[in-house]
Amino acid sequence: MTQDAQEAVGDYRYGFHDPESATIRFDKGLSEKVVRDISELKNEPQWMTDIRVKAYKHFVEREMPTWGNCDSLEGINFENVTYFLRSSNKTEKNWDDVPEDIKRTFDRLGIPEAEQKWLGGVTAQYESEAVYHSIREDLEEQGVIFLDMDSGLKEYPELVKKYFGTVVPHSDNKFSALNTAVWSGGSFIYVPKGIHVEMPVQAYFRINAKNMGQFERTLIIADEGSSIHYVEGCTAPTYSTDSLHSAVVELIAMEGAKIRYSTVQNWSANVYNLVTKRGVAHKNATVEWVDGNIGSKLTMKYPSVLLMGEGAHAEIISVAYAGTGQHQDAGAKVHHLAPNTTSNILSKSISKGGGRSSYRGMLQVTPKANGCRSKVVCDALMLDEDSRSDTYPTMEIGNSTADLEHEASVSKISGDQLFYLMSRGHSEEEAMGLIVNGFFEPFTRELPMEYAVELNRLLELEMEGSIG
Amino acid sequence: MTSYLDASLPTRSEHLWRYTPWSRVHPTKVDELPTIGEVVVESEDAELKIISKKPVEHGNDIARIFLDEVIQNTHVLALEHETSHVHIRAGGHAVAAHIHIESTQTSSVIFHLTGEAEWVGLWLTGNILPNSQLSVGLINELSSDSVLVRTDNWNVERDGDFELSTLSLGGQRIKSDIRTTLSGSNSNHRQFIAVHGHGTRHDDHHIEIHHKQPHSNSKLTLNAACDDRSHSVGTGALTIDDDAQHTDAGQIFRNLLLSPSARAEAIPELEVMANEVAAAHGAASAPIDPTQMHYLMSRGLSQEEATAMLVEGFLVDSFVEVRSTSVREAMQTRLTVHLECQLLG
Repeated sequence: MTQDAQEAVGDYRYGFHDPESATIRFDKGLSEKVVRDISELKNEPQWMTDIRVKAYKHFVEREMPTWGNCDSLEGINFENVTYFLRSSNKTEKNWDDVPEDIKRTFDRLGIPEAEQKWLGGVTAQYESEAVYHSIREDLEEQGVIFLDMDSGLKEYPELVKKYFGTVVPHSDNKFSALNTAVWSGGSFIYVPKGIHVEMPVQAYFRINAKNMGQFERTLIIADEGSSIHYVEGCTAPTYSTDSLHSAVVELIAMEGAKIRYSTVQNWSANVYNLVTKRGVAHKNATVEWVDGNIGSKLTMKYPSVLLMGEGAHAEIISVAYAGTGQHQDAGAKVHHLAPNTTSNILSKSISKGGGRSSYRGMLQVTPKANGCRSKVVCDALMLDEDSRSDTYPTMEIGNSTADLEHEASVSKISGDQLFYLMSRGHSEEEAMGLIVNGFFEPFTRELPMEYAVELNRLLELEMEGSIG
Repeated sequence: MTSYLDASLPTRSEHLWRYTPWSRVHPTKVDELPTIGEVVVESEDAELKIISKKPVEHGNDIARIFLDEVIQNTHVLALEHETSHVHIRAGGHAVAAHIHIESTQTSSVIFHLTGEAEWVGLWLTGNILPNSQLSVGLINELSSDSVLVRTDNWNVERDGDFELSTLSLGGQRIKSDIRTTLSGSNSNHRQFIAVHGHGTRHDDHHIEIHHKQPHSNSKLTLNAACDDRSHSVGTGALTIDDDAQHTDAGQIFRNLLLSPSARAEAIPELEVMANEVAAAHGAASAPIDPTQMHYLMSRGLSQEEATAMLVEGFLVDSFVEVRSTSVREAMQTRLTVHLECQLLG
């Protein structure tokens, strides 16, 4: 790593990279030909090629988004991005068959070990496509479909065609158009009626190459009365030039179903992370986003839920850590479109070393949505005088029976709490670490234990050198 | 400075104009600069001097650029008594005024805005000089067809204390953009707004409070009760600069929706660049509490009377922390009279 790169990204645990070993690598830059080539290479049906081309045209014409930290987006050079890179010729089902260098990367990230212990299924995506995929046999026997998105399109084209782009259409915003045009990889999950997937399924996304764009597309459908917990993690190596991650995630929770989508985003500090995540909750269904943002240069991510059916519920827990040179522009959007729908949003952020964290939220109640209830809580901690914290909530209330609350506070670590812990023998740094872990506790307690432990360790690393 | 006809018009993607587009509060067509008459400004207990309009920083805001060009004079208000009453009478097709206050002592001023003008532009500016205290109350009782564009620019200097109360009852479409800068250390600002939405009133309050120096404090309370097909918008932008350590700032937006067709928007924004601060905001929206209704009706009040009492309690509560007795009483009295007429006929 160059000295400049080191200075730009600081100490980043997953900043190592392996030699690039692409079997297919497109030239940098985006054109209709690139879009058609990706589709042809994947041997996709014509309707998908048509959607991609349509989305590409929309991307070219569409302005940058106005919701979010839009000035920072000017730093993205779309012509300096590699839009497709295939590092392995097929998706392996056996870990031993994964190419050695890629396997080594995921071994270092602890993926196979985690799978054996506590996961129902795993997808590992390296650059543009999945290199490894597995699902527990018992889930497969119950009819649960868990595939990488490319395989999903090949094996279940009708199902994909029915739901693809119904929650996040390509015309939603410039980055959803970009994703729809060049998407590759991601997960496709279908849980049949009444099936509860007890163990979480996981996807792990890794960008290895320089100036790489990763555009995975995830579609999860939980049929009536079913439930699933999906966990994703992301890392990238440390380079002095920027990479782009622009995913689209669509969740569909049918009547009485429940989907929980947990993310621990730990991209290196040279990655633009611009993700559109949206779920639809039908009658009495629940969609939960548990979203942790630790890494990246700029994250603009606002997981949203459309509460379409009576009695539907949305739960969004979001934490962000903004260190030097980082801007975490995260938040949540909930649209109450049906009566008696409920939502809870909890956002927590920490800014340190000149980092900036922002909560940007939208809570909307439409005129027909009688009896809705919602609560939004945003807490921010500022660890030094160079940092910044913003809150931009929007509440649009079109129904007189709605009961909504929003509260936000920004403060520094309480001197009383520090004194209490230090008087019991902790150093100032340890005390600060404990308080930060406690601050994030509402988030970590919702994660599978291994993830929570890992997140606490990450935060401890980020907190090193906080004092003095 | 940019002239109005050269200025670019705001789009709805701009936060300030999202819910009330400039085209809907412009007196004619947005690409026109019509002739605007003068509002009558009178006071029995304060000296009013009319001078050629003082230059005011418009900060590229389209409403200020427009008012800057159509207003020719400034009414400079010299506050000689502890409390002054100023009548702003808006008659005719389209009228506007710029009123400026230099506060050097402890004083209160109550503006009473009335009239039948179709369009009213009001620009209030003031400096709260070191160690002075000023409490301003504005009661808007324009006719139900009027459009009001109000812009305020207040500057609070070292150890200054500024209180601003707004009672918004009249007019059909209101766009208020109230900006206060706490430019001195130890400066204080409290702002209280009560909105009663009735008929098809559209009332949009945008409040910016900017802390620039340490040990400055601010508090904002906006209570809006929306009935019929009315629409209330409250947007707050609280900014704490990195020099403004030891700031204590809070904003609270409350909406009470009284009818199925009423709407309310609350956007309390916070931008904090200093770490030794206490900054908080809250927003809440709810219908009338059925327990409170039941309590009042079980004691013999009709539904209308109980509703009127609860709405009055909700809105009067906006002004309980106003320190100037004369401003607080004026606000609460006008509010009570208005609600009796509106809700109980």
